[in-house]
Amino acid sequence: MSFNESVTVAGVLFKNPVITASGTFNFGREFEEFYPLSALGGISTKGLTLCRRDGNRPPRVAETPSGMLNSVGLQNPGIEYFLKNELPYLRTRGTVIIANIAGSTVDDYREIAEKAGESAVDMLELNISCPNVKEGGVAFGTLPSKVREVTEIAKAACGRKPLIVKLTPNVAKISDNAKAAEDGGADAISLINTLTGLAVDYRTRKPILANVTGGLSGPAVKPIALKMVWECYNAVKIPIIGMGGISSYTDALEFIIAGATAVQVGTANLVTPTAAYDIVRDLRAYLKENDLDVNKLRGSLVI
Amino acid sequence: MDYKTTITQNRRVANGVFKLTLSVGALPEILPGQFAQVKLPDGSALLRRPFCIADFDRAAGTVTLLYAVKGKGTEALSALTKGGKLDVLLPLGNGFKFDASQRKIMLIGGGMGAAVLPAFPSAYPDKEFYTFLGFANKKAVICADLKDKSRFALITTDDGSNGERGFVTDKALAEMSALKPDSIAACGPVPMYRSMQKSFAGVSAPVYVSLEERMGCGFGACLVCACKIKSGGNESYKRVCKDGPVFLLNEVCL
Ligand SMILES: Cc1cc2nc3c(=O)[nH]c(=O)nc-3n(C[C@H](O)[C@H](O)[C@H](O)COP(=O)(O)OP(=O)(O)OC[C@H]3O[C@@H](n4cnc5c(N)ncnc54)[C@H](O)[C@@H]3O)c2cc1C
Ligand SMILES: Cc1cc2nc3c(=O)[nH]c(=O)nc-3n(C[C@H](O)[C@H](O)[C@H](O)COP(=O)(O)O)c2cc1C
Ligand code: FES
Repeated sequence: MSFNESVTVAGVLFKNPVITASGTFNFGREFEEFYPLSALGGISTKGLTLCRRDGNRPPRVAETPSGMLNSVGLQNPGIEYFLKNELPYLRTRGTVIIANIAGSTVDDYREIAEKAGESAVDMLELNISCPNVKEGGVAFGTLPSKVREVTEIAKAACGRKPLIVKLTPNVAKISDNAKAAEDGGADAISLINTLTGLAVDYRTRKPILANVTGGLSGPAVKPIALKMVWECYNAVKIPIIGMGGISSYTDALEFIIAGATAVQVGTANLVTPTAAYDIVRDLRAYLKENDLDVNKLRGSLVI
Repeated sequence: MDYKTTITQNRRVANGVFKLTLSVGALPEILPGQFAQVKLPDGSALLRRPFCIADFDRAAGTVTLLYAVKGKGTEALSALTKGGKLDVLLPLGNGFKFDASQRKIMLIGGGMGAAVLPAFPSAYPDKEFYTFLGFANKKAVICADLKDKSRFALITTDDGSNGERGFVTDKALAEMSALKPDSIAACGPVPMYRSMQKSFAGVSAPVYVSLEERMGCGFGACLVCACKIKSGGNESYKRVCKDGPVFLLNEVCL
C-alpha cells in the first residue's frame, strides 16, 4: 500500500496537505459549527499585526466574475490578544497552527516575528504582500532585495520556528522573489496572495470598494496562481504552499502537480463553510482509490 | 447551519418583490432579524446572497424570504420554480431579542425593510405588536397582512396611494405617548435610521435596528461586513453578519 496523505513542510508534519488560508478563516471558531478543525492539515490565522488594527472603511467586498475583491485592510485584534485569547484554544484543536504576521516597518517585522517565535504556534507565515494597506508589507514584498532583507530579519528574530514567506503576485517575476526569500533563509514559501483589482459601479461612476482598490481572489485567479506555483517550483528548493481559487480536491491536485507540497483554501471557505473539510475528504478518497502517496504527485506535471 | 432546501413557492407579491418559501425540514430556533445566506443556482454568481428570514412555519418546516429583484443574483432567484433546490445557511446573526418584561413591541418597517417584521409574531406569540409600515407607493406595499397579527397597525405611503400620506417614522413617533411601547424594532434604509437618530432621541424605549452591508461569508469569518459601532465612548468595527445585524440605534455610526 502506498496511500499516504501526510506531508512535511519545513520539518512540520501535516496530517493532510489542506490548510485554510489567512483572512478567510478568522481564528477558526466560526467553522466549528460545521466540522471539527482537527480534520484540517493546518490553519493560517487572520493576518496579525503588533497593535490592533481597525481595518478599512466599508464596503470592503465586491463580487467579480468567478471571484471577489476585498479591502479588509488587516483588521485584527493584535498579536498579544491572539496569543492570550485565541491561541490557547486553537492549540487544543489538533491541527497545525500557522501565525500569519504583517508589519509596516522592518522593526515591526522583527518584533512580531520574535513574539510569534516565542509562542506556541507551529509556524510563521510572513505576509509581505497585503495589497490593502499602504503599510501592509507590500512595500517589502515587491522588490527582491527587500524580500530578502525582511526575510533575513524575521528569520533571525523567530528563533527555531519555521518561517514561511507569503508572496504577492503583483510583481514583475515572482520566481525572483521566491529565490530572494530562499536566499534570505525562508523555510518555505506560500503563494499567491491576492491580485490588486478595481470594481466600478457604472451608474454612480464610483468604485464599489470604499478603499477604491482591493485584492482579487477566488476561482478567477486559479490559472495565474497555478502558473506562478509552477514557475517557483522550478526556481527554488524550499517547499511551496500553493493557493488561489482552490475550491475542490481536483483544484488541490492541480496545485500539487504544479509543484506545491501543501495547499491553502481561501475564498471557498466563505462560499461553502465546509469547503476545506470536503477537499480533505475527497482528496483522501481519490488517493485511496488510486493507491497514491500525495508526495509522489508533487511537481509531476508532464510537459 | 447548512440546509439543502426545496422551493415550495416563488412568486411575485409586489412591484419587483418576490416571496420565496423553502422547505427546510426540522427548523432550528429562529429569531426575527436573523438571516439566510442563499447560494445561487449553478454558477450564476460566486458569493451567497443574504436575506432576512421574513417568516417561518415550524409545523410545516418552512422559511419564507421576501426579496427585491436588484441585480444578477436576485434576478437568477426570481427565475426559479417550485421543486427547485437551494443550498441555504441559516439562521445567521443575532436577531431581535426581548426579555419577559418587554411586552408591548413597536415594529417599524420602511420599504423592503418591512420584510423583517412577519417573523415577530411567529417567534413571539405572547407579545403585543404595534406595527407601522411605510412605502414609496401602493405598488411597493408588502407584509400588509401583518395587520391581522398586530394590536395596532398603520400603513403610510410617500404619495398617499395606500394608507396615510407621510413618513412612517413620523406616524410612529406621533403615537408613541399613546402606545408606550417597551421596545422598538425597526428595519429600513439608512436615511430612515439617520432621521430616527434625531427624531427618536427622546424616546425612552430601546430602539433596535437591523443593518445591511455587503457580505462575503455571512458567518463571521472574513471581516468584510464591517459597520462602525460606538459603545462606552469607543468606536470600533463590528461584523454585521455575526455581531449584528441587529444593533441599538444610538450605537450605530451611520
Ligand atoms: C442581513 C441582510 C438582510 C437582507 N435582507 C433582505 C431582504 O429580506 N430582502 C431583500 O430584498 N434584500 C435583503 N438584503 C439585501 C440583499 O442581500 C441584496 O439586495 C442582494 O444581495 C442583491 O443581490 P443581487 O445579486 O441581485 O445584486 P447585485 O448588485 O448584482 O449584487 C452584487 C453583490 O453586492 C451585494 N449586495 C448588493 N446590494 C446589497 C445590499 N443592499 N446589502 C448587502 N449586499 C448587497 C450582493 O450580495 C452581491 O454580493 C439584505 C441584506 C443583508 C446584509
Ligand atoms: C477576505 C480576505 C481576507 C484576507 N486576508 C488576508 C490576510 O490577513 N493575510 C494574508 O496573508 N492573506 C489574506 N488573504 C489572502 C488569502 O489568504 C489568499 O492568499 C488569497 O485569497 C488567494 O486564495 P483564494 O483564491 O483561495 O482565496 C485574504 C483573502 C480574503 C478573501
Ligand atoms: S460577511 Fe464574513 S464576517 Fe461578515
